[in-house]
Amino acid sequence: MIEVKNLYKTFDGKNMILKNVSYHVKRGEKLVIVGPSGGGKSTFLRCINLLEKPTYGEIWVNGKLITPVDPYLHFDVIEASLTYGKLYEKSVAENPGLSEEERREMLIREIKEKDLLHEKNEGGEYRKRMKQIFAANHIQIDLARQKMGMVFQHFNLFPHMTVKENITFAPVKLKLQTPEEASAKADKLLARVGLTEKADAYPSQLSGGQKQRIAIIRALAMDPEIMLFDEPTSALDPEMVGEVLDVMKELARENMTMLVVTHEMGFAREVADRILFMADGGILEEGTPDELFNHPKHPRTQQFLRCVL
Amino acid sequence: MFENLILAFEKTFIREDRYKMFLGGLGNTLIIALCATLIGVVIGALVAIVKVYYKQTGKLKYLNAICEIYTTIIRGTPIVVQLLITYNIIFVWSTQAVAIGIMGFGINSGAYVAEIMRGGINAVDIGQTEAGRSLGLSSATTMKSIVLPQAIKNVLPAIGNEFIALLKETSVIGFLGVIDLTKAAERVISRTADVYFPYLSIAAIYLILVYGLNYLFKLLERRLAKSDRG
Repeated sequence: MIEVKNLYKTFDGKNMILKNVSYHVKRGEKLVIVGPSGGGKSTFLRCINLLEKPTYGEIWVNGKLITPVDPYLHFDVIEASLTYGKLYEKSVAENPGLSEEERREMLIREIKEKDLLHEKNEGGEYRKRMKQIFAANHIQIDLARQKMGMVFQHFNLFPHMTVKENITFAPVKLKLQTPEEASAKADKLLARVGLTEKADAYPSQLSGGQKQRIAIIRALAMDPEIMLFDEPTSALDPEMVGEVLDVMKELARENMTMLVVTHEMGFAREVADRILFMADGGILEEGTPDELFNHPKHPRTQQFLRCVL
Repeated sequence: MFENLILAFEKTFIREDRYKMFLGGLGNTLIIALCATLIGVVIGALVAIVKVYYKQTGKLKYLNAICEIYTTIIRGTPIVVQLLITYNIIFVWSTQAVAIGIMGFGINSGAYVAEIMRGGINAVDIGQTEAGRSLGLSSATTMKSIVLPQAIKNVLPAIGNEFIALLKETSVIGFLGVIDLTKAAERVISRTADVYFPYLSIAAIYLILVYGLNYLFKLLERRLAKSDRG
């Protein structure tokens, strides 16, 4: 359902946050991503709906490419180019000592920075080839995001709207639902999380746990096919964590596709189909909760789990 | 003493219906300040959006450059010089001094409002934009319906100050021959040779206007703050 290929993310050109991450999320899968802070889990999640722009890599959602139509984002396109071949031979002759990996990264960066992929270097068929690769399968990010709900650590409810306006605003504005439909749906969702009486309250009048439950149903009001959770309980007081996790567990039972970045290991163990352990900008280990929690293989995972469990 | 005051009042306001001159002047002052603030807010918001959009996405490079030049020139030269240039050079063929004054003050105010608005937009948590975009809203809709309402609430006190500053600044419109409140006082003085009463009177009128406006803005702020109640 979501395919991430060769995802790289650097900030300011040097801070490498994600390094060649690839993963395929299947429909209905409950994927929990754990790992130390700064390991790239949030960035990975935020790249999936392009809140962060990948430096390289492609992201496919339901068979549609959502990353921009830009050949420089695609490693295999760069590597398959005539320019790469020429530079590669030159580099081998000049710097025989480099490892394959270093050489590859150096060349790709050079081609991107100097903007070398164009008609003149690549021959007349270039544009046609690019069209075949991209244009046919590309989907506008705003459209793709309508089917991907996102829940943030800090809720990000709209403070100038009531709870109900928060929930109905996007579906009505995007003409996916009439105001009446959206209102009825909001009532149903509010009842589901037990916050019916808060419909006309403003976010500032709610507790953290209530805000996060509203944020979840605001995303659900769009009828998403997948939900992304970015540390949804990290900003909550401990006694409010449970009420938010309960809503998420219920969603999981309804077979929503979910990607959850969290430090709640109990939740991960209970809900996840698969767990990714991310650290140092990559997926170091993946497996079922049993495999990962009870028989971790990578020393980095073992060390992390010793600290949190 | 008291009789002198009454006499001065009579001389300044009643004789030859001079109060009409003051009323006309007051009308011009208010019209220029009000219209110029409206123009200023519109220009300011547009310029601020262009600048913020450029900073976020790198698009609109040329429009952003124009906006930079605009704010630099306007904020780097005196308003009187700007008005004189507009009236005597750019619109030399026109005698609509009030309209030109409105435009001059509006364009001037826009540069200041732009900086205020930019600060206001930047002060809105980036998470608001992310939440809007993650729901599938376009960047324009997110800006218009999510970010701007919050930004305007943030900057309302500053916009109020700008309006008040503008109201007082309009007293230089006399350079274009427009009879505003200040010019009206000068006209009367040229007849009566009494400087005390007219000047102190218009000072009082300005003060009352500013005080009243302050009060109105406070009310508006309180209304807009209704979503803040905890």
